[in-house]
Amino acid sequence: MTSESIAVMPGLDANHTSAITESTTSGNSLATSIAVLNQLISAVKAQVLGRDDVIELAIIALIADGHVLLEDFPGSGKTTLAKALGEAIVGDSATTAEFIVPFRRIQFTPDLLPSDVTGVPIFDTSTNEFIFRHGPLFAHVVLADEINRTSPKVQSAMLEAMGEKQVTVDNVTYKLDDLFFVIATQNPLDLVGTYPLPTPQLDRFLFKITMVHIDRDAELDVLATYKERRDKTANKITVTRDAVLAARRQIDQEVNISSAVKTALVDISRNLREDDRVLQGNSTRSMVLMLPALQVVAALRGRNYVSAADIELLLPRVLGHRIELAPGVSDLSRVLADNMCEPMEQLARGTLS
Amino acid sequence: MAELTESRMRYFPTSMRAAIIASSFWVLSLSLTVLSGSVAAFVGCVLTCYLMDGRLRRPPLQQLRSFAIILAALVVCGMGLLLASLLTSTALPGALTSPMLAFNAGEFLQWFALSASITAILRTLAHRTSYGAVIEILFVATAFVITLAAHRNGMIHRPFFIGDFALVRGIDPSAILMAFGCAAVLSLAALLMVENTERRLPYHFAVLGMLCFSLLIYIRMFGLPTPQLTDDLGLTGQEQLGNSSQRDNPFRDGENDASDKEAPVAVVVFRDDYTPLNGAYYFRESAYSEFRGSMLDFTTRADMDQDLIKNFTNTRSESAQLPTALDQHTPVRMTIGMLVAHRSPFGLESPVAYENVANPNNLRFKRTYDAYSMAPEYDFEYMLGRETGRADWSDEVLQKYLEVPDDPRYKELAESLLTDLKPEYADDPFAKAWSIKTYLDENGIYSLKNEHAYADDPAASFLFGDLTGYCMHFSFAATYMFRSVGIPSRVGIGYSVPASNRAGGSSLLVQAIHGHAWPEIYFKDVGWVIVDPAPQQTLVDMSTDPQNELQQLLGDMLRDDASFEDFLDSQQTPFIDLQMLLNTLYAVALLILLAGYSVKFYRLWIPAHTVADKQYRVGYRAVLDKLSAVGMRRRYGESREQFARRASTLTPSIELMTDAHLRCALGDAAVQNNPSQWAAMRLHIDQELRASTATSRRVIALINPFSWLMTK
Repeated sequence: MTSESIAVMPGLDANHTSAITESTTSGNSLATSIAVLNQLISAVKAQVLGRDDVIELAIIALIADGHVLLEDFPGSGKTTLAKALGEAIVGDSATTAEFIVPFRRIQFTPDLLPSDVTGVPIFDTSTNEFIFRHGPLFAHVVLADEINRTSPKVQSAMLEAMGEKQVTVDNVTYKLDDLFFVIATQNPLDLVGTYPLPTPQLDRFLFKITMVHIDRDAELDVLATYKERRDKTANKITVTRDAVLAARRQIDQEVNISSAVKTALVDISRNLREDDRVLQGNSTRSMVLMLPALQVVAALRGRNYVSAADIELLLPRVLGHRIELAPGVSDLSRVLADNMCEPMEQLARGTLS
Repeated sequence: MAELTESRMRYFPTSMRAAIIASSFWVLSLSLTVLSGSVAAFVGCVLTCYLMDGRLRRPPLQQLRSFAIILAALVVCGMGLLLASLLTSTALPGALTSPMLAFNAGEFLQWFALSASITAILRTLAHRTSYGAVIEILFVATAFVITLAAHRNGMIHRPFFIGDFALVRGIDPSAILMAFGCAAVLSLAALLMVENTERRLPYHFAVLGMLCFSLLIYIRMFGLPTPQLTDDLGLTGQEQLGNSSQRDNPFRDGENDASDKEAPVAVVVFRDDYTPLNGAYYFRESAYSEFRGSMLDFTTRADMDQDLIKNFTNTRSESAQLPTALDQHTPVRMTIGMLVAHRSPFGLESPVAYENVANPNNLRFKRTYDAYSMAPEYDFEYMLGRETGRADWSDEVLQKYLEVPDDPRYKELAESLLTDLKPEYADDPFAKAWSIKTYLDENGIYSLKNEHAYADDPAASFLFGDLTGYCMHFSFAATYMFRSVGIPSRVGIGYSVPASNRAGGSSLLVQAIHGHAWPEIYFKDVGWVIVDPAPQQTLVDMSTDPQNELQQLLGDMLRDDASFEDFLDSQQTPFIDLQMLLNTLYAVALLILLAGYSVKFYRLWIPAHTVADKQYRVGYRAVLDKLSAVGMRRRYGESREQFARRASTLTPSIELMTDAHLRCALGDAAVQNNPSQWAAMRLHIDQELRASTATSRRVIALINPFSWLMTK
């Protein structure tokens, strides 16, 4: 595996090293994957300050082959985050097509057309044939800024790309990169002239993360270090694309999801659908998408099994944008807690029997 | 009108209220109907409570006015009663099934209709008006009061359904009555508590306050509901020391009411059989013998009334003056238990000795003593031709017994009565007395509502007035007339109980109504002989129902408490054997305890003796058991990791062990720690727990047999 060539980089905090050493006691098969995860995290953390939780979730989604919807306000560092993530992953010339770039940003506007994101065939007068000009979707990391400002036509083009990892132009299907990862953003307040994302589109995002303002110290840090962080020449931590894909495969193979955990997930979903306070429950797809994410969290915590703590961490992020609450009900966390209680109790009891 | 927001019935308050109102119906119905009626009353009330609480705020009933609902309830009640009376009054149902069945069905229907309609009205008012709940509380209170009212005046065996229930099972009825009182208080308190609107609380407290206040007033006015003396006979109801020369006027107007007449005053157990010839047992307590100023009074002279025992003593005391003519008297020993305090001991006719005996029941009897009497065996013919007076009386004493008010009318009237006597009896004292008595018998009218008390001489006012009065007037008038014709006499005071009251038993109940005064004459060689006028006309009903059960009950209590206990024990055997039940309970409790301990210690022991691939489970369980024993338990829905984080304050290693446990449980089962690692972890946690918990906590943890139940 190519990832084995990557050395553990300095700068990992004590938590993670201890997590690694602990995991080695249970078998070091996950060690390389965990190293890749931590490199990615530290690479992005070096660029984005004060958003450790968001960074971690974004990395989790990346490894879990999901996409992220960030709900935030302008200037909160989402581009920096996406860019840092994109730049932390370097393509291997051997395995990556030359038209795949690490990072692209698309600013969505009402007059954008699908071809603007997918790419368009152009007639080449020198060869007298159409050649396909790859659009910005052909990248490792794509930042889809203000995704709700564009027309449903473009949104649905994104839908295919996100769901199938491919685009179809003029009835020709082009495969996207295996690592294709979308970070979409939308402004929760300025809703005039927007096309709110329909539920199926929302369902394709693994997480919806509502960002809050970073704390005072982190903000001061941002002001103090903005110059160094923009210095392109600085030594940067990078991970190869193949290493990321290898980590994805390895985590999927090595991290065990016990049937009790799956039972708990299904039971929670069923409870939610039956709750009077919930108009529409979550889809089965959400559970399917969630499984790899659970595995990644487990790996990140140095475990080779998924446990209740992982569910508790991810469930609000996964279900937050998928569940429609009845009118008058506003406290999603309360609804979730009520419906999680019984299946989680069963999960906990199950370990003793 | 109270508009409550919740429209759904809340089950707990409804059930509680239903149970309370239904039990008041049950209690009310107990003395009025048979079992089927009581059951119907209970069921009807409960059903109606649920119906009203559930439906009153839904469309069909919601739109009806309260008045319409009440009217409908009344109509339903009327129809139910009508149907019930049809069931029992017509022959057909009885003929079709059986008379018993028809009767039970009738009672059932009647009480069902009654309780259902009353409950419907109560609930409707309680829901729709602010004062309705007050009526409900009053109803419950009234039900208890009415049921227990039969208990007043010291009728400890009443109400019968309680008294009989208790006696058959060997329980003191007062315990059950107290339980009833507690139940009443609890019920009222519960009714208050289920009322969740604060606005009504003031009403309810006002009602409860009123109830308590009326109780206070009742006690102030009528005293505690112990047997009360009517006090019309000089019996003050108080034991008084020393002589009582200063006494109240024995004649009282309007103060003698017959409401308390059944109150038991004392119970007499005859140790020797004796039946009086004149149809009544006379118990003499004291006598008015000395004329002082305006009327007869207790004597202050030592040489008068020497036959009376004036005070209670702790030892045996004997009468200073024994009756003579012993062949005409029979010795009778009796044990007397006083339910009310008296001034002097009393005994049959003339007690010659008095002896305190141990009180078998301090709660019941104020004083118990043995009295020895010389009971008369002679009839009145024996008295004919006898002389009056006693040989050892001084002239002064004799004169005292002959002293009359300075009123010539007594002598005139007496002599006018004696003119009719046959010549051979013209000088016979007994014949003279008898004709005076006969005059009073034929002309006197017995009444408690008289107006003589404030006359200078009430006896004269009675005798020369309307001849309407009660025993005190009759006895004073007779005594004055006896004395005016030279017969030494006095007014005896005590009780006179009809001989038929004994009803063949050996105990005799003395009730307040039996309080009496009578004239008596001293015959030479005989003693004080009672010549009691019995007016043929009476304006007041002084008859009472025989209280045979109470008489027997009190007699049994007095006779010998030990044998009473035996009686109660003998009654107990068919009932559940309490001892057996207790033993079974102990055994079961012990078994449960043993089972608890064995499971507890098995779970702690097994990790050291099990195979490696179960270690993660039993080893972790043993640790959790230890944690729950010291009070650290996983909450419902809490994950193992969260719990471990919480528990790490007690033992930090629990997080590590939880990880290891989950790795085996949720992860790859092939990865196993070896047993020694598990044992090491357990040992480590044990040490940490020992360091972080107090010794007392660990002792309790060790003792608690069911701590493992908390482990989840």
